[in-house]
Amino acid sequence: MIKDVLGRRWKSFLIFLAVMGPGIITSNVDNDAGGIATYSMAGAHFGNGLLWTLLPVMLVLIVVQEMSARMGVVTGKGLSDLIRERFGVRLTVYLLLGILLTNFGNIIAEFAGVASSLEVFHVSKFVSVPLSALLVWLLVVKGTYRSVEKIFLFACLFYVTYIVSGFLAKPDWGVIGTSLVRPSLDFSPGALGMVIGLVGTTIAPWMQFYLQASIVEKNIPVRDYKHARLDVIVGSVIVTVVAGFIVLTCAATLFKAGIRVETAADAALALKPLAGRYCAALFAFGLLNASLFAASILPLSTAFIICEGMGWENGLNKRFSEAPQFYGLYTLLVFAGAGIILLPRIPLFRVMLVSQVVNGLVLPVVLVFMLILINSPKLMGEHRNGKVFNAVAWVTVAVLVVLTAAYALAFVG
Amino acid sequence: MAGQETQMFLYFSELLGRPVLSSGGARLGRTADLKVHLGELYPRAGTLVIRRRSDKAPRCLDWGQIESLGGKAVVLRPGAERGLAPLEVGPAEILVREDLLDKQVVDTHGARIERVNDVHLLIVHGELRIAHVDFGIRGILRRLGWLRPIDAFWGWLFGGRIADKLASWKYVQPLASDPKRNLKLNVTLRRIHDLHPSDIADIIEDLDRANRSSVFRALDTETAAETLQEVDPRLQLSLIETAAPEKASDILESMEPDEAKEFLAELPEEKMETLIGTMEKPFRERVEGLLRYEEGTAGSIMTTDFIALDRDRTIADAVEAFRAVLHPLETVAYIYVTGEGQKLAGVVTLRHLLLCGREEKLGALMNPHVVTVETGDAVGAVADVFNKYKFLAVPVLDDQRTVQGIITLQDIVQATAEEL
Repeated sequence: MIKDVLGRRWKSFLIFLAVMGPGIITSNVDNDAGGIATYSMAGAHFGNGLLWTLLPVMLVLIVVQEMSARMGVVTGKGLSDLIRERFGVRLTVYLLLGILLTNFGNIIAEFAGVASSLEVFHVSKFVSVPLSALLVWLLVVKGTYRSVEKIFLFACLFYVTYIVSGFLAKPDWGVIGTSLVRPSLDFSPGALGMVIGLVGTTIAPWMQFYLQASIVEKNIPVRDYKHARLDVIVGSVIVTVVAGFIVLTCAATLFKAGIRVETAADAALALKPLAGRYCAALFAFGLLNASLFAASILPLSTAFIICEGMGWENGLNKRFSEAPQFYGLYTLLVFAGAGIILLPRIPLFRVMLVSQVVNGLVLPVVLVFMLILINSPKLMGEHRNGKVFNAVAWVTVAVLVVLTAAYALAFVG
Repeated sequence: MAGQETQMFLYFSELLGRPVLSSGGARLGRTADLKVHLGELYPRAGTLVIRRRSDKAPRCLDWGQIESLGGKAVVLRPGAERGLAPLEVGPAEILVREDLLDKQVVDTHGARIERVNDVHLLIVHGELRIAHVDFGIRGILRRLGWLRPIDAFWGWLFGGRIADKLASWKYVQPLASDPKRNLKLNVTLRRIHDLHPSDIADIIEDLDRANRSSVFRALDTETAAETLQEVDPRLQLSLIETAAPEKASDILESMEPDEAKEFLAELPEEKMETLIGTMEKPFRERVEGLLRYEEGTAGSIMTTDFIALDRDRTIADAVEAFRAVLHPLETVAYIYVTGEGQKLAGVVTLRHLLLCGREEKLGALMNPHVVTVETGDAVGAVADVFNKYKFLAVPVLDDQRTVQGIITLQDIVQATAEEL
């Protein structure tokens, strides 16, 4: 009897291992160069005061991603596929253009992250950026989906560096505990701006597309759906824990010393005298890993999304001649993204501004489309949203839309 | 349009959304869709679906009721507005916008899946028919309203214009957009059969789940069996599971018993037993026999299609036995000769059958030195035997030295390829 139960547990665990991947990877890429910079700033400028906001952010992440995962499992189609079929070519093309634009901005930011993290180790960007672009390109063009996913999952492990550096910074755990249990509500414009930033970096349109596409590519059957959901939840929890450690590292060191930072590399450099060489090195290495990771996934996901919506052949199991648009677009995004970083005096801030504004325009459309699709009985049958979940989802989306718009406006202002 | 003997092409996107006016000029709504009855080579779009903003449900009318398409509006014949009826879609009917536009279809000429960007219609003898489907970038640009400026730009830059990518309707296989309507559309999935099973396998791999199973279910038993063997192993299981048990066992029965056994061994036990239960008796016994052997042994990969005859029989008997079976050639390259108690005594080859006298006894002609393997031998050991002797097939014996089956060169290549 006990053996039976154990056997079933074990079998269920094995299925989870097979299904695991899309959710964890998607969430982790979310902690990219931009995300780490935001968390560092939140910790450095507000101490542990905003730590609690990560919990609702985690819930939002779970609610939105669960819907993507569910649509992928039930329909076996990608999100741009579904949008094209339901909303027609016109909306799809403009939406895809928006996603292309905002993703391209993010890709540039990722390569900037690679450059600045390696500059902490005194590596010139003229060496690091071309090499990393080549590495990223080869990985995807020469790999298959399965091998690429394994490498990506392995990259997720390196986020542990942030947890280690968190311990090295010797924070006051008692204070952290109380700040989580008894959230301090700070309504100053600065703090509100920071909260908006935290949410704004958390949900990006490409994530929903990427998650759904990789679930489809894995061909996860409906009966294994609960494992896919667990994958999403585990991913969101990991991301929140890592983000929390970044905040508390900076809170324990930079905030105490009253140092203000604007980027993640700034934070790494500032950590050196305060928390020691190793803490700073781990912090910078984490940034390098995150940037490289996101720099491989963002162009890939962008190429996927666009080819799927336009009806062009796509997928890592196709050869270059079979899917020229897919590989062409991917290559262009990687090398153009990396190339811009090498230009003298790049207006990085302006690039990010455009990218964030477009992001703020595209995200509401994607989220509303998702809600319409997931409530379609024709598409989802018995798996469409329940009443309660639907209410939660609409409220979540509404909050997200308002905050993202505010974030984009803050960038402009 | 009736009565006009002119021939005219137009794109569905140009027709879509045009205002529909009565003969008196009253506005009845806009064109929302076209209903097409499949079956003919270039199917007739007999029904126009129109919709008004205030309408809850669309209404439709016969194409023959249209007076003219000229200008920017569709004008109906006098009194046609009284013939407006609610929309009903029959079993072999599809809606162009709902089921075709922006959806995936199979291009059976290029053996690939494409997305429909536009539909090219032909008006001939007052009837509207689907002529081509537009898979190209021009279709997208036309629908975005960018075709004219981009054509002008392209012409200025390169000369000429962006190429059309139209496929004749006879090479287009529509797929179901709504999983629940799959059964209806199965009637129309006939064109899939124009494709080679390995192409069907590629297409199935690229489809979404609902269409995957509906396409698979539409295949006849033979084709389904061949397709199943070509498809990505990770999909095989889910495909066979979607087929009805009766059909699934028929599909397996049209395979070689050893191949069928390979499939069954992968299935959950319950499913396997249901499938075996519905098989015909002789096939079932052979498959069950094969399933007894452990994975990775000679017994598990052998085929039970072979010819064995007693040593007292003649060449004429052997020729007769050869005629009676339809086994693949490599399984009948050798004829096994048995002695007392069905034990293997020797082997004769096809060459003997052709060159020796009809009355000669097999026992006198046979080569008594036969290289054999045992049912429990590891696949690797069997591969070594093939490597050393370069045979087309090797007999598999049990501990009583009776022949249980043979392993052909193809069996061993497949088995070792799977291990790699």
